[in-house]
Amino acid sequence: MVKRKELFLFFSLLLLGVFLIYTYTHIKEAKSEIFLKIEKDKIQQLAHMFENLKTETILEQNIENSKDLIHFLSDKLAREKQEKRLALLLSSNLKYIYILVKDEQGRFRFLLDASRIDKANFYQKFDVDNPKYSKVYKTKEAQIIKQKDMENLQLTYLHPIVVNNQVIAILSVDITSNLENNILELIQPLETFFIILIIFIFLLISMTIIQVIHYFLTRKKIFTDPLTGLYNRNYLQEILPMLKLDHYSIAMLDLDRFKVINDTYGHKTGDFVLSQSSTIFKNSIRDSDILIRYGGEEFLLLIYNRDNLISTFDICERIRAKIESTSFHYDNHDINVNVSIGLHEKPNREKNINEAIKIADKMLYVAKNEGRNRVIKYSEKHQNNSQTKDINFVKSALQEDRVLCYYQPIYDYKTGSIYKYESLVRIVDVDGKIISPMEFLPELKHTNIHYKLTQRILSIVFKAFKDNSLSVSINLNFSDFINNDIENTILEELIKNKDLASRVTFEILESDEIDNIALLKEKVDTLRNLGAKISIDDFGSGYSNFRTVLDIEANYLKIDGSLIKNIDKNEKDFKVVKSIVNFAKEADMKTIAEFVHSKDVYNKLNTIDVDYLQGYYISPPSPKILKNEELF
Amino acid sequence: MKSIFLSLLITLALEASSSNTHQIKIIEKIFSEISIGEELKIWSDSSDILFGLQTSAHFKIVQNLQDANIIILEKSDTFLSEYLSKAIFVLNYSLLSEIPQSFGALFWKKGRPNIVIIQPRIEKQSITVSKDLYPYMEDRVW
Repeated sequence: MVKRKELFLFFSLLLLGVFLIYTYTHIKEAKSEIFLKIEKDKIQQLAHMFENLKTETILEQNIENSKDLIHFLSDKLAREKQEKRLALLLSSNLKYIYILVKDEQGRFRFLLDASRIDKANFYQKFDVDNPKYSKVYKTKEAQIIKQKDMENLQLTYLHPIVVNNQVIAILSVDITSNLENNILELIQPLETFFIILIIFIFLLISMTIIQVIHYFLTRKKIFTDPLTGLYNRNYLQEILPMLKLDHYSIAMLDLDRFKVINDTYGHKTGDFVLSQSSTIFKNSIRDSDILIRYGGEEFLLLIYNRDNLISTFDICERIRAKIESTSFHYDNHDINVNVSIGLHEKPNREKNINEAIKIADKMLYVAKNEGRNRVIKYSEKHQNNSQTKDINFVKSALQEDRVLCYYQPIYDYKTGSIYKYESLVRIVDVDGKIISPMEFLPELKHTNIHYKLTQRILSIVFKAFKDNSLSVSINLNFSDFINNDIENTILEELIKNKDLASRVTFEILESDEIDNIALLKEKVDTLRNLGAKISIDDFGSGYSNFRTVLDIEANYLKIDGSLIKNIDKNEKDFKVVKSIVNFAKEADMKTIAEFVHSKDVYNKLNTIDVDYLQGYYISPPSPKILKNEELF
Repeated sequence: MKSIFLSLLITLALEASSSNTHQIKIIEKIFSEISIGEELKIWSDSSDILFGLQTSAHFKIVQNLQDANIIILEKSDTFLSEYLSKAIFVLNYSLLSEIPQSFGALFWKKGRPNIVIIQPRIEKQSITVSKDLYPYMEDRVW
């Protein structure tokens, strides 16, 4: 929207411009009419005097028509007598007084010239061009000619001499005045001033218009994402003061495993999928809704509350289903993508929109953790959790040493023994209740507290395992890997304890956005050189990037739980897991199946030669390091 | 056509009132409508007019009176007996009366340009004028 001050300036200048034009026009008009106005009374007096003279002469001489008049004035004495009478009217302003008659050929001729200078002869032709001379004959009415560029003449007054309702001649007076010229000269600077002022005002108006146009043009660029054509975060900031949260629900949308599409098919394909997905989003909402590309493959949707017939959850579900059912075709590839959505239906209950967005984002995180491709609505249950488990909750836990690790065994069913343990973070709340990471990690995303928490976990795990011969896995995401403090913590410990290094596996969270493979590989190589191993976590669902896995030269592939949990019932999942196992063997990697929650799943996995198993069926995570006999 | 010519002439004349250059333009226009059966060779007692008409394509400007067949006369006191054999165009209405063989005049009357061509005199001198000059024809000098 155009800023108010620009609009105010524009309309003020426009008003001023119109006023100045009106004034200028008025001055111009006054200028052109000034002489007429000044001389108006004089002309009226002249008209009366002419009428008197005419009446006397015409009556005296019994003149009936122009021929009689010509005949009468052809007499030199009579003419001179009349000239003397008319000459009495001459003044410094009335320069010439003469009588003209129209001859048979329509030319005007002097019958009498009372002027003191430039006197014309009787019946001498007088070339006139102005149609008003003929108009006098036609209309029988006096005419005034405003002269231009003619000596110093200002006006010519043409007075008809009418006899028997016929114009028989014209009494003509040429009027001149220096007074008017002086006035006009005085007005001239004023006129020039107004012209300059008007030009200046219109320049300002033009500049304001250009500024407004420029504002509109740049506004589109500033507030629009060029790839998707959607609004960007700048727009959100712009509308924030005017946004009434009472009318909206907030949804955070994120394309699942989008990075894999970029890595597998290239960024052009990724851009295409983003653009097409945006179109589906746009087509699934109304004009009153606001869709913003929040960043990367993340979108913020402000859903304007409709009537009770359709809930905002249904709208989100419709979007999710539409994306799921759409196959994007690009460059001979058919690409399927899913979307996870976090929804906050009552954002007005939060302190501000940022808080509401944060909650919707947290719901998105929950959707991702629960297997993606789903809509999670913020509920009272979440509300109760979120009230206590924010950043400060983690900060306090770190300060009060309430962070601890649980360990879940990773089982080698071929040997019937625990192969290693996965370390899993937990926080003990002030009431002694164990809080799972799902409840506090979303709040920490990209915060310094997240890194501090990771450092703490590393310290706990290193301390727990440095004095035994057991192996352990530690989860790290990409941002952890490239954080200098975390890297220093790892290197400091593993360089001085090579034995521990050989027993540590770092699990890279596959779902995390890895946007610099070269950097990741560099960090991974550093760890591998110390003897540590690398595992890819959550591999197999969506579009896992095989190339990245091969580039990193991971030691383990941990197959995503969403593929494992129904493997005993779902033949497709079974085939996918089998393919992953085969791929891993080809690439000389060991496989780990997580989410082994039942005997059926366990038995099914035994048939496809997965190397290691992990899950509640074998053992839930435990605060202590379990032994073989404590399993199952 | 006549009215167009008239308008053009008057327009030129109106412009001419402010400048001698424009007077020359009117003269040039008048003489482009006049024929004496041979090439017009013009001489004038006014050096300004001689200079101004120098570039005209319609007629030739001569520096010697003897070589001219048309004279443009501005003042009566410069009249010489040699003029008698030439066609004379004057720049003052009263000169039309003073010089009987003068055939026409261009002059200013009450701030307006006026043209007069005396018909009997041009006929006597075998001068022909185009129809465009007919509105300015007079039988006599009034």
